[in-house]
This record gives sequence, C-alpha cells and structure tokens, in this order.
Amino acid sequence: MDHMEYVLNILPFILSGLKLTAKIYVATLVIALPLGLLAAIGKVNGSKLIKKILFIYTWVWRGTPLLLQLFFMFYGLPVIGIRLSPFAAATITYALNYGAYLTEIFRGGIESIDKGQYEAAKVLGMTYPQTMRRIIIPQTVRRVLPTTCSEAVNLVKDTALLAVIGMPDLLRISTQIFTRDFDITAFIVAFVLYLMISSVLVKLFGKLEEVYSIYE
Amino acid sequence: MTLIRMCNIHKYFGSLHVLNGVSLEVTKGEIVAVIGPSGSGKSTLLRCMNQLERIDQGFIEIEGIVVEAAGDVGVKITATPQEVKATYRKMGMVFQSFNLFPHMTALGNVIEAPIAVNKVTKAVAIQIAEKQLAKVGLLDKKDAFPSKLSGGQKQRVAIARALAMSPDIMLFDEPTSALDPELVGEVLSVIKKLAQEHMTMMIVTHEMGFAKEIADRVIFMDDGIILEDSSPKEFFGNPRHPRIITFLEKML
Repeated sequence: MDHMEYVLNILPFILSGLKLTAKIYVATLVIALPLGLLAAIGKVNGSKLIKKILFIYTWVWRGTPLLLQLFFMFYGLPVIGIRLSPFAAATITYALNYGAYLTEIFRGGIESIDKGQYEAAKVLGMTYPQTMRRIIIPQTVRRVLPTTCSEAVNLVKDTALLAVIGMPDLLRISTQIFTRDFDITAFIVAFVLYLMISSVLVKLFGKLEEVYSIYE
Repeated sequence: MTLIRMCNIHKYFGSLHVLNGVSLEVTKGEIVAVIGPSGSGKSTLLRCMNQLERIDQGFIEIEGIVVEAAGDVGVKITATPQEVKATYRKMGMVFQSFNLFPHMTALGNVIEAPIAVNKVTKAVAIQIAEKQLAKVGLLDKKDAFPSKLSGGQKQRVAIARALAMSPDIMLFDEPTSALDPELVGEVLSVIKKLAQEHMTMMIVTHEMGFAKEIADRVIFMDDGIILEDSSPKEFFGNPRHPRIITFLEKML
C-alpha cells in the first residue's frame, strides 16, 4: 500500500483521538485557570480556615502522582458508590491537579506585587475586589505568563496518561493502530501532532507576553 | 474650620513605640510641614491619618466625623462605615515611591479612581484627568506608561491622580526623597502651585528650604512625639530645643 494513502487511511481515527485529547485539554484549562486564581487569592488573603483547606488541597494534589490520582477517580470512586463518566472523571482529575499547580504559581505572582500598589488603590478609595481585579491581577497575569505557558505545554503531554486508563485519546488510538498494523506510522503522526499543539501554545503565549509587556 | 483632629495617638510596631501620644489639628487651607530625623514617626503619623496604619490608641476626626478610635478614649465612631469611607476619600495621598499603576498609561492612572470609585463615565473621567495632567504639566505625556517617565514626571502623575478625586486635603509622604536632585524642583513647584490654590496640605519632607518657604506651620517630630509646632519663621529663625538645633545644623 502506498504510504501516503496509509496515512490518510488512519488519519480519521487518529483525529478522533486528537479530538478527545483537545476536549479534555480545553475543559481542564477552563476549570483549572479560574480555580488556580481564586485559590491563590484565598491563599494570600483568605481566613485561617480557607488557608488551611487550600494548603491541604495543594499539598495533596501536588504531592502525589497524577496517574495515581486518575486511578483513584476511575477505579476508587466507584468503590464508594460515586460513578462519573470517564470524561468527567478525567477532566475533574486534571483540573484539580493543574489547579493546584496554578494556585502556587498565581500565589507567587500575587505576592510579588509591591504592597505600594495596594496602598495607592486604598487611598484612592478602591475596594479590595476592585483593587484585585483592576490593579493586582492584571500585573500578576503578566508575571505568571511564562510559568503558566510551561504548565499549559505540560498538560498537553500529561493528557497522554488518558491512554493508560483506557480512554481513546490521541496516544491510545495511535497505539491501537500500531498493534493492529504493526506499523509505527501512527506513532509518527501522533508525535507530529503533539509537537504541533505544543508549538502553537508556545507561540500563543509568546504573543500574549508581547501584548502584556507593552507597559514595561 | 478644623479638617483633621488627631488626639493622643499611640502606635506600636511590635515593641517599638512609634507614636507616643501625638495630638494635632489641621485647619482648612493650612500647609503643615512635618520634619524630623528618620525613624521619628513622621511618615507613620501621616499614614495613620488615612488608615494605612491602624492606631493603637487615641482617636482621629476628619471634618468633624470620628473615623477612628482605639483604646479607652471615651470617643466612639458613630458614623456608618459608608460615611467613614466617604470621609477618607476626601484625603489624597502622594507616596515617596510614587506607586503608579505600571500597567496603565499616565491618563489611565488618573481616570482609574474616578471611574472605579466615583462611578463617573469614562468621558467625564478623561476630562477631569486631562485637566489635572495639564495642571502638573504632563498633558503631552498622557499616553506614556510610567516606565517611560522620569521620577519627577511619575511623581507629578501621582499628584494628578490624587487631585482627580478632588480631595479636601493632600498628604505628601516624602514626595521628593526618591528623586534625583535635578528632578526635585519640578515636583516642588507643582506643590507650590497647589499652595497658591489654598489646598490644605500636610507634607513630610527633608527639604528644609521648601518647608521654610511654603509651610504655614512646621511640626518637628522626634522619638514619636511632637517636639515643636510653630511657624516656619519661629522654627528656623529661633530654634530653642537642642535636638532641633542639632538637626537643623545637620540639614542646612
């Protein structure tokens, strides 16, 4: 069989895997980014109880392997009677895991803003939420962009763990094609696709950094 | 009319007694220079006025409203939190380190509070801001980000930002201490302009010549107390206290 034809042949399967990967990826970021931001604000300025809860959250989720967390969600929760769809279970796990890392990144960013910024906002009569939204967060975003970018790229690669828990993601579909045809072309296609997504992300964040650095 | 009344203020930083029973009144239109050696409590006094520092004892009245009372002083805050907030808004403040918002242009810095706090429309805020930027001589820099401005320009934008909230009193916390010597003049001349408009001002400064020229009153602080409170003529012409004489000898 002609090689190009073979690629075109397997491509629809691979793209269906890519679609799942992309869905989980986007859903994860949509949850993890706001979660990380809110939790970071809570860690900086929450009550003692909130700080304690958030400490335990980031401690547990950053301190254990992501794969083990996925196993717990997939095989552990049903044991205690909670049944989630594979998509929900995977998204929740990724979101909580990345949310924990982003919490620490954003917390560091918020804490790096000079306290004079809070004072200036305060003497102008701004409330705490206004100060955070209008003064502190925009500056924080600029500072955490590079680290957030590498987390976003990490997540692309971490989605490949979906293959281990049997979800038909980009990697698993490629593996299936490989076992079926005993041909590594599927792996090469997956390789290229992963690299393309990562490159687009890096470019995108680079653009964002440019936009945010006009004031420097 | 008394704008600010501070009564027997005590403030501690840990075991350090920074303000040791300071009482002070500022009347409308008055320009008060606060001087003294570093660590004497000048900045803390100023920062207690607008709650950047909370007092440990004493009470503070602004325009007849008790805004802060701590310890057993027999005075209570009777105003609602909203009234207290509104009262604080009548005080503008300028910092030693400018504290401009770096992610906003000069104009953005000045329109920010009118829009966010006073809820005016953007068009109105821009009108207010351009007037204030013109007053400090920086209308042509309105689209510049703070990183592109000199220290003196930054401080003038900071003054415009405070003025945009139409304060009844301006607090200056060492406004020229972070500036290169050649940039001090432009900031002082803006403050002088405000003096001509009879803005009530309280200025913590190390510029003795400026204090002498502009102030109606000079307050000398040392070790958390007000050692002297007199006219500049009296203060500079006939200093009595040995601490003040030593200080002035060092400064002049």
